[in-house]
Amino acid sequence: MFLTPSNLLKIVFGLGLFVILCIGGFTYKHINSLSESTEVVKDTYNLRSELEYIISNLKDAELGHRGYLLTHDSIFLEPYEESAEKVNNNLLRLDTLIIKNKVQRENLNQLEVDVASRFAIFNKSLNIAEDKIILSQELLLLLHEGKIKMDRIRNDISVMLVYENKLLLENQKKSEQALGLTPLFLYGILVLTLVLLLVAYAKINRDLTVLSETNEDLEIFKKLTEQAEVVSKSGTWIWYVDENTYHFSDNLYKLLGVEPNSFEPSLENLFEFIHEEDREGLGQEVNSMIKNEELPFVNYRIVQPNGTIKHFKAHAQLIDNGFEDKQLLGVTLDVTDEFDNFKLIEERNLELERNNKELSAFNYVASHDLQEPLRKIQTFISRIEAKELNNLSEKGQFYIDKIKSSSSRMRMLIEDLLQYSRTNKSKNDFKNVDINQLLEQAKQELSDSIEDKNAEIISSILPTMEVVSFQIEQLFINLISNSLKYSREGVPLVIEIKHQEVLSNDVECLQKSLFKYHHKIIFKDNGIGFEQTYSKKIFDLFNRLHGKSEYSGTGIGLAICKKIVDNHHGVIIAKGEPGIGASFTIYLPFLK
Amino acid sequence: MNKEYINIALADDDEDDRFFFTEAFEDLKIKNRVSTFKDGIELMEFLEKASLLPDLLFLDLNMPKKSGIECLKEIKASSKFKEMIIAIYSTSSSEEDVENTFVLGANIYIKKPNDFEKLKKVLSEVVTTNWQYETSGLNKENFLLRL
Repeated sequence: MFLTPSNLLKIVFGLGLFVILCIGGFTYKHINSLSESTEVVKDTYNLRSELEYIISNLKDAELGHRGYLLTHDSIFLEPYEESAEKVNNNLLRLDTLIIKNKVQRENLNQLEVDVASRFAIFNKSLNIAEDKIILSQELLLLLHEGKIKMDRIRNDISVMLVYENKLLLENQKKSEQALGLTPLFLYGILVLTLVLLLVAYAKINRDLTVLSETNEDLEIFKKLTEQAEVVSKSGTWIWYVDENTYHFSDNLYKLLGVEPNSFEPSLENLFEFIHEEDREGLGQEVNSMIKNEELPFVNYRIVQPNGTIKHFKAHAQLIDNGFEDKQLLGVTLDVTDEFDNFKLIEERNLELERNNKELSAFNYVASHDLQEPLRKIQTFISRIEAKELNNLSEKGQFYIDKIKSSSSRMRMLIEDLLQYSRTNKSKNDFKNVDINQLLEQAKQELSDSIEDKNAEIISSILPTMEVVSFQIEQLFINLISNSLKYSREGVPLVIEIKHQEVLSNDVECLQKSLFKYHHKIIFKDNGIGFEQTYSKKIFDLFNRLHGKSEYSGTGIGLAICKKIVDNHHGVIIAKGEPGIGASFTIYLPFLK
Repeated sequence: MNKEYINIALADDDEDDRFFFTEAFEDLKIKNRVSTFKDGIELMEFLEKASLLPDLLFLDLNMPKKSGIECLKEIKASSKFKEMIIAIYSTSSSEEDVENTFVLGANIYIKKPNDFEKLKKVLSEVVTTNWQYETSGLNKENFLLRL
């Protein structure tokens, strides 16, 4: 986390700067010490020359002194006195030059004492010499003594010179030691700095490449966003909260029906487009947006300059990353198509509802008004049969018989049709029911016919299932009565009912089912059967494979079966073989 | 029901049905008096004034002016008629109608048969039922008369 690219760069630059500062410091220090040692050399040189001056001045003094002794001419005293003064000056300068060195100071003190005593001898001999022209014994002694003093001074000076030479050598050695490493050291540091700068350069270069790539990506992203806005009919906008300024995307302008940037992006200008009836509501939303810095989903209408009304939906969220100014990022969608579709669906739903109402009205009419006249016809026929049959001719009785069978067929049709239309989806009626019980009830309902046909029903144990019980009972009734109806003359009817649980994937017709498991229930009979080509047709409403006179039937029973199985999200399949029998396979899904 | 004859009333707008009804009772070997009304208003006016109330009232549901359901509600609202046995006598036996009339307190629901002999059988069944015993054990299963 700490070593981000920019941090690394900062460290590299910091190091570089530090190293350069170090180089400066070292260089300053070394130059300083270099000039110091030069100063020392200069001092030594001065010292040496002062010392040599002393010898030379003393020699001058001696020369003057000797001249005077020989000639007693005062002209020789002049250089002698001058040199005495010069020697004094030389000693004073030496004093300042060696002020710090203890050994040299002692040496100097010795020299001063010796020089002073030399001059004392000069003065004494001069005093003696003034009176007499010839050299007295005393004077000769003094000259000897002067020579000894002079030798002593030479010795003093040579001691000082030797010592100073030693100092100079030491100093030279020391500064050589220090200065000898300096260039290498400086060079090394310079190389290091260069390396660091190169690293920094490489890093900056790499960062620049990444930056330009990122910029390219951003450019692509921007283009894509623009494209996405056009395709999705949306626009984006930004509210810079602190400055209270806005930015609208190009497509937002287009959605408003104007050219991009054709007006200053502001709330006031936007409100010009808002539908009059929506201004107040939207205004409240915007006020709460300004207060809460958030805009929940809001719907409103706008009016384009050409008068077209569009439905918009907007939403915005505050982005506060802590560094920059607060920004509210918003998206506005043109939901006109959605709105229109919704309206269309609503209209269709209303139409469907109307149709349903009509249908149930029709059901009512069918159950009441159609049945009533029919019931009366049947009742009057029963009256004629009971009271007037004997008064009719044979033909009349035949006609009455025909009316009777026609009207009972009409009744059957009406009842079956009603049954079919009542078999509707009813979600709430799904209950966990013991299917065996439903089969028992169905058998009970058909007990007369079963007895008449002398039919045998063999059933395995059926499961408990989530079904609409009255519909499944009806399904069983219809299937059994279908078998009863189409049994073979002279062959005792046997109906076999079997159950099995199957994996939907294992059954071809269930491949598209959403359910994993199905109950498979088979109704198999040994009746007249049918041609396999009709296996789908027999489930169609009013579809019959046989003439009315051969077998009674309305062609509705199996259609009801199909509808019931459909209601239960199941599949029903018929298989037949003429003269051998028919089987109906029902697949009902495990709903839980 | 220790009286000599049973007082029976029928409210039905259908002339033919009233005809079948009276004819059926004529055929039955039960002493009875049948009075018929052609709509709910006529029936209620009669009931309000009658000094001798019918023992058994047969009510058609689908009638003009005042329906059978309305009559049933009015009758059940008044304590005057609490002894009266009410049989619904209708063309349809839609679940909705059966449920409604049961809840409103009718005693039995008869779907008009399409055979005269059956009609006679149904009516004699209703008349000969010991209602005092039956009403004590009201239940929905027996409400719709099945033959």
